[in-house]
Amino acid sequence: MDLAVYDLKLHRGRFIATVLGVGLLFTIVLAMNGLYRGNIQEGLALIKATNPDLWVVERYRGGPFNEQSTLPEFYHYSVKAVPGVEKASPFIYYTVERPIGGKSRHFSIVGYDVFGGLGGPQKIYAGRNIEQAHYEMVAHPKLGVRLGDRIPLGLHTYTVVGLTKEAVSSDGEALVYLSLADAQEVLYQRDNEEVRNQRERLLITLYGQSYLSPVQAEKLLPKLQADTHIINAILVRLKPGADCTEVGRRIEKWLYLSAFTTEEELQLMLKGRLASMTKQLLLFRTLLLVISVIIVALVIYTFTMEKIRSIAVMKLIGAPNWEIIRMVMEQSLLLTIGAFLFGLALIHNTYQLFPRTLLLVPGDDLVTFIVAFAGGILASILGLWEALKTEPALALGGGQ
Amino acid sequence: MEILRVEGLSKIFGSGRLEVRALEDINLSVSEGDLVALLGPSGSGKTTLLMCISLILDPTEGKIIFDGQTIFQKNGWAGVDIRRIRREKIGFIFQAHNLIPFLTARQNVLFPLSLLSLKREEAESRVMELLKYMEIADRADYLPALLSGGEQQRVAVARALSNNAKLILADEPTASLDTGRGMRVMELLKKIAKENRSAVIAVTHDERMIEGFDHVYHLKDGRIVGERTNSMLN
Repeated sequence: MDLAVYDLKLHRGRFIATVLGVGLLFTIVLAMNGLYRGNIQEGLALIKATNPDLWVVERYRGGPFNEQSTLPEFYHYSVKAVPGVEKASPFIYYTVERPIGGKSRHFSIVGYDVFGGLGGPQKIYAGRNIEQAHYEMVAHPKLGVRLGDRIPLGLHTYTVVGLTKEAVSSDGEALVYLSLADAQEVLYQRDNEEVRNQRERLLITLYGQSYLSPVQAEKLLPKLQADTHIINAILVRLKPGADCTEVGRRIEKWLYLSAFTTEEELQLMLKGRLASMTKQLLLFRTLLLVISVIIVALVIYTFTMEKIRSIAVMKLIGAPNWEIIRMVMEQSLLLTIGAFLFGLALIHNTYQLFPRTLLLVPGDDLVTFIVAFAGGILASILGLWEALKTEPALALGGGQ
Repeated sequence: MEILRVEGLSKIFGSGRLEVRALEDINLSVSEGDLVALLGPSGSGKTTLLMCISLILDPTEGKIIFDGQTIFQKNGWAGVDIRRIRREKIGFIFQAHNLIPFLTARQNVLFPLSLLSLKREEAESRVMELLKYMEIADRADYLPALLSGGEQQRVAVARALSNNAKLILADEPTASLDTGRGMRVMELLKKIAKENRSAVIAVTHDERMIEGFDHVYHLKDGRIVGERTNSMLN
């Protein structure tokens, strides 16, 4: 006789309310699983899609994604000259917030050598790759643009010539690919008014120097303008048979730069920017699971205490302990499993609505279910303890 | 045939200055068909005696022989599964009926049978037979909360009878009933005792019902201070 089910039928309102409440907690846990996977996938997507043999960055910097790295653009010629290097391409990556289609959009820009250099989009699903030195862009559809759209960025307007879903920024935002020169211009080029103001400020400073005549000061001015030929990394492809470690060592020793393989670059992200987020999500998930178990435990404890006299009667009639254990534990597991299934169904039907990518993996669902199941067993302990210590004498008005 | 014999039974709670002698040198014998009352004021020890006979409270001294088998003696429970004895040979009727609130009348009667190795169909058929016998079959699928006090009492009696108990123990079975209904319960218990060849022991302080019992044991301060038989009462 399934006592647990009969009891829950009588208290179906409370049972359903608890299943929904705890189910929502499980929804959040499962969403966090997906968020964690999604963050890892997005955080590493651009590195994996770009996939050069070596990433060369500013010395002692873990750039260009995990940490800022800036290099003069011409350094890529020096890297190209290192034995074993077949190709060395300048690469720039930064995040901006600009109005697009009347809305302020947060996205990242990748600038690369569009004429045979490394670092561009590999898979274009609509349109084509960038073929001109200026004013063309390839964008991720997350940005809300279509082929042929003309997007003003900074001083110029760029035409969307291709769409790619290959990668997003490490923050999960849309990516925009531009030629290196365009990307540098969008990042560094100020409008004419600002350029004029800066020139005047500099001239005033130079005129104030007693050792410079006004003519000398005006001649010196162009030399003091900010250099916009800055990049964040140099992407390297090695010659066939070249030793990656050896080439990297040479670059570090002779050019005073840092070099990482793609695998090392992935590890930098995993152990750097993504690590604290991973720990944070793990902590939240643990807390939510503990809260779920506590709620289930309290509900089961209340259910058990409400029928403590019935349990005493069952014991008096001669019901063995396992019959009572089964009843309490079954209720706890029905509640936990019901809540988990509700949470699972909810998240699998709503994950597209989340602003960040949720990557739901069956393995994560299974592990969460196992943890929840164990939690359900744990949650029944308090109720079981009360049930088992109940004296049958209570049915006759004695005991406790 | 004798079903229950209690010899020199004592129960002491606490020790030293806090010692309370709840039962002292209790002797009684109950045979098939007997309807026995344990009568006494509050604190006289009748519920304690019922608990010892129900095998849920360990006596301090004495001997309990049940259905020809010594189940308690000086050294404790004599290697018997007391929960199994309760399950198979004892039926219980309570003052507050104590029906399990989330089971229907039919399921309440079925519950003791579900603990025995009976086939489902056989158990179901016995349940319906008992509910008909108790004239409550038409309310079989009602939860206790939807039954009247009298109907609940009849379901409780059906439950006590479901395992063909040798001994039915009743705790104040008529206390919450009016005289008419109380008399009907007494008649029912008498009928059960005779027809099922079982014995009924009821704890009561309901003087109205005394005439219905075959034997009445008067308890006071944990001792049997008087014993009367039906012929004396009438």
